[in-house]
Amino acid sequence: MGHSGSEVPALASYFDTSATTPTATEVLEAMALAQATAWANPSSLHAPGLEAAEQLERSRLSLAEGLGCELDELVVTSGGTEAIHLALLGAAAGLTPGRLVISAVEHPATLAAAAQLEQRGWSVQTVPVDRQGLLDFDALAGLLVPPTRLVSVIWGQNEVGSLQPIEAIGARCRRAGVLLHVDAVQVLGHLPITFRQLPIDFLSGAAHKLQGPRGVGLLLVRRGLALQAQLGGGGQEGGRRGGTEPVVLLSGFAKALELSCATPSLAPLRDSLLPRLLTLPGVRLSGPPPGDSRLPHHLSLLVASEAGLPLSGRNLVRELSRQGFALSSGSACSSSGSAASPVLRALGYSESDAASGLRISLGPWHRAADLDALVQALQMALAASVASDHLLTA
Amino acid sequence: MLAYLDHHATTPCDPAVVAAMAPWWSEHCANPANRLYRPALEAAAAVERARGQLARVLGSSAETVIFTSGATEANNLALKGVCEAALAAGNLRRRLVSLVSEHRAVLDPLAYLGRHGFPVSLVPIQPDGLVDLAQLEAALGDDVLLLSVMAANNEIGVLQPLAAIAALCRQRGVLLHVDAAQAAGHIPLAIDELGIDLLSLSGHKFYGPKGIGALLVRPGLQLAAQLHGGGQQDGRRAGTLPVPLVVGLGQALLGAEADREERAGRLGTLRDQLWEGLRDLGGIELNGDGAPRLAHNLNVTVQGVDGTRLHRLLRQRLAVSSGSACSQGSPSHVLAALGRSRQQAAASIRFGLGRGSSDAEITLAIETVAAAVRELR
Repeated sequence: MGHSGSEVPALASYFDTSATTPTATEVLEAMALAQATAWANPSSLHAPGLEAAEQLERSRLSLAEGLGCELDELVVTSGGTEAIHLALLGAAAGLTPGRLVISAVEHPATLAAAAQLEQRGWSVQTVPVDRQGLLDFDALAGLLVPPTRLVSVIWGQNEVGSLQPIEAIGARCRRAGVLLHVDAVQVLGHLPITFRQLPIDFLSGAAHKLQGPRGVGLLLVRRGLALQAQLGGGGQEGGRRGGTEPVVLLSGFAKALELSCATPSLAPLRDSLLPRLLTLPGVRLSGPPPGDSRLPHHLSLLVASEAGLPLSGRNLVRELSRQGFALSSGSACSSSGSAASPVLRALGYSESDAASGLRISLGPWHRAADLDALVQALQMALAASVASDHLLTA
Repeated sequence: MLAYLDHHATTPCDPAVVAAMAPWWSEHCANPANRLYRPALEAAAAVERARGQLARVLGSSAETVIFTSGATEANNLALKGVCEAALAAGNLRRRLVSLVSEHRAVLDPLAYLGRHGFPVSLVPIQPDGLVDLAQLEAALGDDVLLLSVMAANNEIGVLQPLAAIAALCRQRGVLLHVDAAQAAGHIPLAIDELGIDLLSLSGHKFYGPKGIGALLVRPGLQLAAQLHGGGQQDGRRAGTLPVPLVVGLGQALLGAEADREERAGRLGTLRDQLWEGLRDLGGIELNGDGAPRLAHNLNVTVQGVDGTRLHRLLRQRLAVSSGSACSQGSPSHVLAALGRSRQQAAASIRFGLGRGSSDAEITLAIETVAAAVRELR
């Protein structure tokens, strides 16, 4: 980057909550308390072990209550990636190899797990999405016939913010007798989830997207469904996931979910930001418009020069970084790879448009003044981008 | 007063580790996978620092370190990763060899691999808990792909002769995986010098946080990733890196290394006091007799008492266990391998001393066992 400065963007200028979020103070307090009182191994039968087990159980109860699931439906994992792998590989292990159906905008973790299943004799079929990133429902419905046995859909898309109609998808899967896994990593903490009311068999989430600690996630598994452990050893989580339970991290996760449930939606703030961004020359929205089909804290833009030539999203992110702002040009996980976003490509954008994405994701700490500053910074960054010739060839 | 003498199950997180993690939870929250803005680069640098710390303490190089959620994941990754890669490379070696006294986090993935085309041989242990090297050598035939051996046993603390085992593996062209969950931070481990191909460890066993561990993998060794997706850690283990935990792991191992010799000396003396006190009660036998063992470990079988009643009495004043915490009271396969009956195994006590252990706690432990034995015999 060649930039020598020591400024660390303050929370106010951190607009990348879809990548990760700072752990909330209350969460840190809950973790500190657990650290002091429940540090023992919860499988131990002595008093410190029992205290740890009790704390673990309290966290489980709190999470189960917050997510509207039964206690034994909750499997603790190390994060979203592990939860997704456990869901797909663990469910498939109990099924005759058949077809897995996924959307064209899945997270790399799901794509990777799907590739694993291909090696195990499964076929994988991708359902296209429309220009807004919403799944072609008829195409999906048409695929819900043998040999399809498993469907995996990302509920809230991390790059373009689209929310799939999970209930309708689930209802169709149920009718067809096909298992459904929902990647809810971006949704958890932003929309209410009542697992028992959803026609979903597996649901994965990660604490660090909702101001909980990194290193912990969960998979909800509909009661009665078989799931083969992917981490053998120790017999924890009802034999579904081995390893000493991270009691402290789970205390933080439970607190984070509790806090998020009490936090008002970020949609109004987001909605106030969008029109101001759209007045900037060359800026347009990608993904669904604000509303029921979009993550409430999420905006994704495509940036171009006034002449309409796409600008590099990455360069814009660098420009903004120089001004102390943290944003992303797409998913954090793919930001080390090629410039064109596979997700934007799946939405039908050209190669160069697909390299011009900018993602803005809000946190509950943001105030109107922070948005003012962001708009101003973006305006400057756009000008700088144009001036330093970051134009892409169309 | 309750004496916590169960440091093999877990250790309390070192306050210095908690402090080292603190700034990374919120102030420097950025996702290290993002290469485009400064806090993310700082997070990535912190991760690299921790890699270097682990590598330095364990006598290897930073690029060998893969962070995992703990030793269980590291063991699963090591065993399944090696087998899958061997399969893909068309390697004809398929057999996996291990010891009967391994932790379930090794035995379970081995059993899984056994059902998927990788036959498993478990070599017995001698009455002292150590493997017989001649017997091990005989088991390392031409079809053997990998040997998995724990450096220090989680129940009886015995230290397998790693240097000799590694030499055998090299001779036989067998990969060596070492489960060092109980050893890292407690005994010196020199991965490169010994010629260990893969080594697993877990933070919470050496005063670090729970939810983090690592697998160290010799450069060039083919290992198939088990969690794929974001391309993190060079594609060897996907998932957003938990930076605070990674930083905590590095700090914990540094801290454990810093007081390792002093601690081992002090705890070894306390442990010997404990053993002398217990031995004098009569009818108490050492498990893993005569073998080199972790300085903070003692495992004894109390003759002539009911194990359930014994532990119920001990529990009032001592946090100890009859075996692995993971087994939640089911009879120990390790003690069975030493020739102990179910009843004897149940009436066994594992002591794991730690940083906080004191003379007073050892005295309390001896008195508590003595009182229980008097009551039950």
